[in-house]
This record gives sequence, structure tokens and C-alpha cells, in this order.
Amino acid sequence: MDRGAITVGVAGNPNVGKSVIFNALTGSRQHVGNWPGKTVERAEGAFYHDGREVRLVDLPGTYSLAAQSPEEVVARDYIISDAPDVVLVVVDATALERNLNLALQILELTDKVVIALNLMDEVRRQRWAIDVPALEKALGVPVVPTVATEGEGLQELVKAIVEVADGRRDPQPVSLDYGVTVEGYTETLQDDLNDLGIEERSRWVALKLLEDDPQIVEAFKQGDLAALELSAPDASPEALQALLRQAVRLREGIRPDAKVEIVRRRYEFAHDVVHDVVHRERPEEDSLTERIDRIVTHRIWSWPITLAIFVATFWITIKGGEIAGGWLDSLFSWLIQAARMWLASVQAPWWVSGALVDGFLVGVGTVITVMLPPMIILFTAFALLEDLGLLPRVAFNLDRPMRALGSQGKQTLTWGMSFGCNVTGVMASRIIENRKVQLTAILTSPLIICSGGYGAGIALVIALFGDRALPVMLSLVFLSLGAASLATLVLNKTIFRGEPGGFVLEMPPYRKPKWGQVVWRALVDRVAHTMWRAIEFAGPASLLIWLLGNLPPGAAFEQTPVGWLVRALAPLGRPFGLTGEMLTALLFTLPAKEIVVPALAMTYGLQTTLMESEQILNYLPQAWSSLSSYTFVVFFMLYLPCLVTLWTIWKETRSLKWTLMGLVVPLVTASAITFLVYQGGLLLGF
Amino acid sequence: MDIANVFDWFWPVLAFLLLILWLWTLLRQRRERPPVQSSISGSAHERIEAEDMLKAAYVQQKKEGRLNVSDLARALGLSEALTEQGMDALVAFGWVEKRAQGGMRLTEKGEAHAQDLIRAHRLWERYLVDREGMALDAVHAEAHRREHTTTPEELERLDAELGHPAWGPHGHAIPGPSCQVPSSPGRPLSEEGEPGDRLRIVCLDEEPVPLLAQLVALGLKPGVDVEIVDREPGLLRLQVNGVVVPLASAAARHVYAVAEPRLPLELGRLPVGARARVVEITGGGTHQRRMLDMGFVPGAEVTVLRKASLGDPIEYRIKGTGIAMRRTDANSVMVEEVEDG
Repeated sequence: MDRGAITVGVAGNPNVGKSVIFNALTGSRQHVGNWPGKTVERAEGAFYHDGREVRLVDLPGTYSLAAQSPEEVVARDYIISDAPDVVLVVVDATALERNLNLALQILELTDKVVIALNLMDEVRRQRWAIDVPALEKALGVPVVPTVATEGEGLQELVKAIVEVADGRRDPQPVSLDYGVTVEGYTETLQDDLNDLGIEERSRWVALKLLEDDPQIVEAFKQGDLAALELSAPDASPEALQALLRQAVRLREGIRPDAKVEIVRRRYEFAHDVVHDVVHRERPEEDSLTERIDRIVTHRIWSWPITLAIFVATFWITIKGGEIAGGWLDSLFSWLIQAARMWLASVQAPWWVSGALVDGFLVGVGTVITVMLPPMIILFTAFALLEDLGLLPRVAFNLDRPMRALGSQGKQTLTWGMSFGCNVTGVMASRIIENRKVQLTAILTSPLIICSGGYGAGIALVIALFGDRALPVMLSLVFLSLGAASLATLVLNKTIFRGEPGGFVLEMPPYRKPKWGQVVWRALVDRVAHTMWRAIEFAGPASLLIWLLGNLPPGAAFEQTPVGWLVRALAPLGRPFGLTGEMLTALLFTLPAKEIVVPALAMTYGLQTTLMESEQILNYLPQAWSSLSSYTFVVFFMLYLPCLVTLWTIWKETRSLKWTLMGLVVPLVTASAITFLVYQGGLLLGF
Repeated sequence: MDIANVFDWFWPVLAFLLLILWLWTLLRQRRERPPVQSSISGSAHERIEAEDMLKAAYVQQKKEGRLNVSDLARALGLSEALTEQGMDALVAFGWVEKRAQGGMRLTEKGEAHAQDLIRAHRLWERYLVDREGMALDAVHAEAHRREHTTTPEELERLDAELGHPAWGPHGHAIPGPSCQVPSSPGRPLSEEGEPGDRLRIVCLDEEPVPLLAQLVALGLKPGVDVEIVDREPGLLRLQVNGVVVPLASAAARHVYAVAEPRLPLELGRLPVGARARVVEITGGGTHQRRMLDMGFVPGAEVTVLRKASLGDPIEYRIKGTGIAMRRTDANSVMVEEVEDG
């Protein structure tokens, strides 16, 4: 018997608990990355069963294997090219018909399939019954009922996987009957394929040729059958062309349309299977979901409810971030003190302690203090809302208003995340499958005030405006939303012009969230991952800033690089009412917006490190007029994403062009708005 | 030299360089743009004339099953000599081939091109009505102007932007022949229906334009249900939107209707709570494939669950799951309403 490692691809529709099964089986031994050449997430993990290593690859959630989206291409290519020992198909037992559409497509590609019939708790709650042996018989492959969130059925699932991998169980997948015409034509094409020496998966290839599958047709056109892992020793390019022409001719003979007919037949089969194996006492409408939806998507109530969901999330994020940030702040103060004392005790030279403590450690500490708490809270909150099923409803409610900007409802979710932290907003754009809307969401997220900018902004606004701080702050929030809307509109009118946007969204039933899982997902999947990126960036950047402000040693302020920068940038800011000191300080806030106040202190030559300073807050109100104060805070809130956000944009888009656009879009929008505010202010005589 | 002076000229120079770069990219873009589609022979004007002739020939061939100069000349109101000359141009374009005994036939290429033109025409009409708010009776001329200059890519983009509509604003299928062809679902109101019958209007003749304007003003538009009140020689009384209107039989000849529930509806038109059966998914491409995979296959039953507070998007139940989509996306699904019970 083969005792090597077993590889398993995990496929399924979105939102069926695929990742839950994956996490439950692999625990913490997993690695998250991207598929080569695609911006589609790839998670891999492994576990041991009886001393055997079982490697799992979590395939992206898809409704089909038609190769119409990057996700579908990734999933299909993996099953064809990597030839896993077993494909585990996770299906939603409450929506079996729709899920079987995918499962049946996979059964056409490979025999080695195990089906996890997940969400059986929902089936029991609705008092349905599913005849599992009958389903197994109808499909010809092992079917294991599971409740992934409770770990129910996972042992049996692993057992079935290993048995199939070892050949102790030999699945005989059902071969679908597509009707006389399609079957006849498929046979004709299959014979032609066999004549060319193509034996493997010939039925599947024949069906795909009839369906006019773009990937397969292209491979035949190019004569590149290796891409499909097919060997065709006898096939000349001409023979392949002839085969294609034959396929086109046959396709014409299928009414109304070969593709429609094939999918229809598959669904018909799925319908018959479901009819035979699923026994329902009640109609399929989920009454609980119905009742909640009647309120949440109500004609009038949907608005305050949507607003309340957002406001509550931010309130918790900002409040919780303040408290936890306080703890982290004292932790880092203590660490910095300790480091400084230790370095003094070993008599390290001033530039070592300066660079290490005031440069590196302060930078890393600031970023962690500012970003970690809101990120944890926000990710947890949104994961919870997602688990509950509320997020799709928010997108549903807000789609129409967003359409006026040329976008769609899901973009509001990324904006919502951006209010907590731009990084989370950029990452959340993954949920948007339309590339154009996804890019718009990524590029406009930085214009939303994040909690870092908000925290620093409040300190600054209170110092600068005193009693008028509240209206100023509110105006900033609206300005930021306005700027993001404006940028969305302009992007859709210019670079994304004319590209179709559509909005098709599954509305899953409401489910009770599983707390452990939610927190786990938020912490491990996202936060740990992101924080590491943040530290990688913030440390070196802060070190550089410290060097700029302190070299050459002992020089007067005018001679330091900071002094130079102040003078160099001064002419740039003039039309916007911004001074060289302001711009240089803004440049220094690139690692994290939080450090704006100490950065200002540095550029005004009041101090040489980024530690807090009371002095500068007293100095500024006298030095700046109220108009230049306001233009500064406006520009500060909007101008650029922090470096971590920018890095995230790069990671998500894998494109230099779009990362640069991530710089340009906020900068141009912020400049335009600041210019209007400043010049308008001058005209009005402020 | 003082360091500050360096920066005084540094920024203007940088700005100048950026300006040059920008202009250069603009110029390059201009150059890369494909040249305007040139006609195979002669000027653009000749091509437009030839295309109009082609459309007429196409309609003729569909309607009569054959094509000859004298019938076509009569339909176009031109002299036979002029028509002959026009047909020669079509032959030169490779759209028409001459057959024995003076007969003619559209080539495959010609037929495809005619269909493209009709498709372009109806899509533009739909666009002008839906997006630019033009009146139903005013769009024909404008669409006629635009159909000749639309490239296939522009057409596909237009189609996608409109949500792959199945019907032009006058009720002609896109693409498809005119109202009068036998394959059209409708029959002229002058012949169809007894008093008391409820009919649904499916098609209006695009010409004569003044008549079209009057019909539209009476509320007689595709998709509207009417009831025949009574029929006298030369006159027909219809109840439209609760109002009884008289219609001359001569005018009724240009209105086509079907017995009410026969015509597939666009899914987006159904009210909340309605149940329907999918007939087909129009449009093709990625969107069609996606809808099919979501379970919108012919024969599937779909229920309208709810509309968002501004009437759009709309949530449907299909195959046991809730799917929300925009009205324009839903309109690519043609359905038949299912009676309850």
C-alpha cells in the first residue's frame, strides 16, 4: 500500500463552510498566499492521520468550473494539472440543487471525489431529512454528512478521503445523460478525439468543445494541449483546427444553445436527485430569515438599521481602540524606557541608542499601538456580521445609491472597513468579484479617514480650534466621504468608463455566528498577517526619518536634511496654503498618520525625535491662521495612504500601475479639495 | 550658488517635463486608436446607402422567401433602374449573389451584416429611450444615423451597458426582423381578438412616424395590455389603462398583439411575491453563463422575494437560495408567470 503523503483539493460554492472544514482539519498548520499569477487567495495546510501526512489545498469558492472568472480558472486548473489524490467537494445541504451543479462538474473531471454534506445542523433545524445512502448511490461517490462548526462527521470524512486515496474505495461517479442530441454529438467528437490519440478525459473535452468553453477552444486553436494536460501524439495543428470546425458545426445543431442545454440538463439531473433524497416537511422558505429580512431590508427601516450597524461598529472600534491603545502605549513607553536605560548602562554611543530607540522602536511601537487594536476589533466585528449574514444585506440596501457613482453596494463595505483602518478596507475589497469595482474600492479606500488619522486629527483639531473642534471634525468626516464618492465617480467616468458593472449577490440565510471561529479567523487569518507587514515597514521608515532629522551630528536645524526638505517643498504647497514645514511633516507621517504632532515638532525644529511634545501644540495656534489650520487638517486627512496601506495595495493588486494609482488618486483628490478650500477661504476673506 | 535658488527652478522644470510626458502619452493614444472604418469601395455615404438597401433586401427575403428587383423597388418606392443599380453595389460588397432567372439571394455575409445593422438600430433605439429619455417616436431617425457608424466592439459594450435587452423599445426582438414577418409572435390588432379579449401589445411598426407618435400618445406601447371593447367596420375601441380609446382599423394594422400571457416577460418587471418559470437567458457571454450556473436555467422556478428600498436591486429565490441582482441584470432573464395554486 502507498504510504506517501495524500494531497486533497477542497472545492465548493462560496459560503458553504469550506474554510471551516479546512481550518478544523489543518488547525494552525496552514499557509496563506496567492495563486501564482492570480490575485486569488491560496491556503494550504496539512494534518496527520495514522502517521500519514494529508495535505489540503483550499480552492477558491465558485459556483461552477466554467473558467469564467479567475477563481474558476484556478480551481479547474488545479484539479486538471496538479491532479490531487482526492477532491473534497463541500456542499451546502440546505441548497443541494445549486451545489450539485458544481459537484457534478467536478465528477466529470475526476473519479476520486469525496463529498462533505455540510450544514446538516441547519437541515435538522428546519426538520428536513436527507437520505445519505441514496445520495451516495445517485452520485456514485462517498458522501459524508458533517457539521463543520461542531466538528461533527470530520473523522468519517478523513476516513473516506484516505480510503479513496488508497484505492480501498473506488468511486464510480455517475455519468450524466445530456439527452440524445448532446450525447450523440459528444460521442462523435469523442471518436474524433480518440482518433487523434486523446483518450484521457475525452468525454469532458468533447462536452467543453460543444459548450464553447473559451479556455479549451483557445488551447485547441493554439495547438497547446499540454495546457490541458492532454497528450496528443497524432494531432497536427490542422487536425485540431478541423476538430474545432466540427465542434462549431455540431454546436449549431443544438437548440436553443448548446451551453444552455448542457447546464439545463445538469440542473435537471440535480433536481431529480434532490427530489428523491431530500424530504421536507415544510416549504423551503426559511421563516426566520424571512422575518429578519422583512425588517432589515424594509423600505424605510433599512436606512436607520444600516446606519446603526456602521455607527455601532465604529463606536466600538474607536472606543475599544482608545482603551487597548492606552495599554499598548504604556507597554511601549515602559519598553522604550527599559531599552534606553539598558543602552545607557552598556554605554552605547548616542547614535546607536537614538537610531534603535527613537528611530526604530518608537516607529514600530506607534504603528502597533495605533493599528493593532482597531484592526482586531474591526475584523472581529465584520467577521461576526458576515457570519450572521448581515453584510450582504447592507450591500443590498446600499447598492442603488452607490450606482449613482457608477459603483455597487459592496463598495460601501470596504469603505466601512476603511473607517477603522485603510489596510482592512483594501483587503476587504476581495469580496468584490468585479475587477473594476474592486479596483475602485481599493483606490478610494485611502480617502476615508482611518482611526489612526482620526485619533491624531482629534488631538490636532482640539489644539487648533478649541471650542469649534466638533463641527470641524464632523466636516472632515463628510469631506472624506465626499472625496471618496467624488473619486469613485471620476474613476468610473474616466479610466473605468464603459466597462459593465453588474451586481449579482447571494443572500445567505441568517445563521448563529460561531464565536470561537470568528475570533480565530479575525486573529489568525488577518491580523497577525497584516501586523507583520506593518512592522516590516514602519521600523525602517521611522529609522530613516530619525536619520534625516539627526544627521549630520550636531548640525544646526537648517543644515539637516529635514531643513532642506522644508525649503525644497515650500513652493509646492503655496497654492494650497501649505508651508514647507507642513509638507515635510506630512511626508514623515507616511509610516502612520498618528505621528503627525511629533512630526510637526520636528519640522519646526523644536525637537529632533518623534516622541510626544506638548510644546508644539501650544506653538501652532499662534503660528497658523485658522484658514491654514483648516487646510492643513483637510490635506492631512486625505492626502496619502500610509505605507502599510500602500504595501497592501501592492500585495492585493500585484501591479505597479495600480499601486502608483493608489498614490495618485488620493493625492490628486486631496490637492483639488484643499486647493478649493484654501482659495475659497481666501476669497471669502478668512 | 544658494541652495534655495536651485529649488526655485527645479519645480518649474519638473512641471514642464511632466507636461511634455503627458502630451506625449496623449499623442500616442491618439495614434494607436484604430482608423475609422473605411468602406470597401467608394465613400462612406455610398456605404450607408448600400446598407439601407441591404436591410430592405433582408426584410424582403425574410417576408417573401425570395428576393427580386421589382418587389424590392415597390417596397422602397424607388424606380427599378435605381434599385438595380443599388443591388449591383450590394453584389460588389459581396452581400448579395445573383441567381438564375434574374433572382437574387443574400449571401451568408450579407445576412449577417443585415442582422448586425438591425441589432445596432434596435440597441441604439433602446439606449436613446432608456438612457437619454428620448420619445419613442423620435428615436428612429437618430438610431438610423448611428447604426452605420457603430463598431462591433462599441455595439457589444452598448449591449452590456443596457443589460442585454431582448426587445427594442418598439417591441422588436433584438436582433430580429420586422413586425410583419411570420416568426413574430404578434398579429395585427386589425385582425386579432374578439370584443372582451385581453391582449398584450408586442410590436409597433416604426413607420409611418406620425402614426407611431399618435399610437404612443394613446398609451399603445409594447408590453401594455389592452382589452377590446367592440369592433365596428373600420373602427376598433380599446380599453387602455382604464380609458376607452377609438382606433381606426388602418392604424390598428400597424399594432401587433398576442393573447395575453404568451409573451415571455423580463424578470425585472415582476412584482414582489410573483412566481415565474424561466424561459431563456438572453445576452450570452459571461453574464449568461453566470446566471445559468446560479440556477437560472430554462424551466427553473423563481420567486420575487423583495426589492431594496429604492426599488432596486431585487432579491429572488431560485433553487432554494436567495440571489439579489439589479433590475437590468434580472431583465436578461425571460420568464413566464406561474399562476398560484
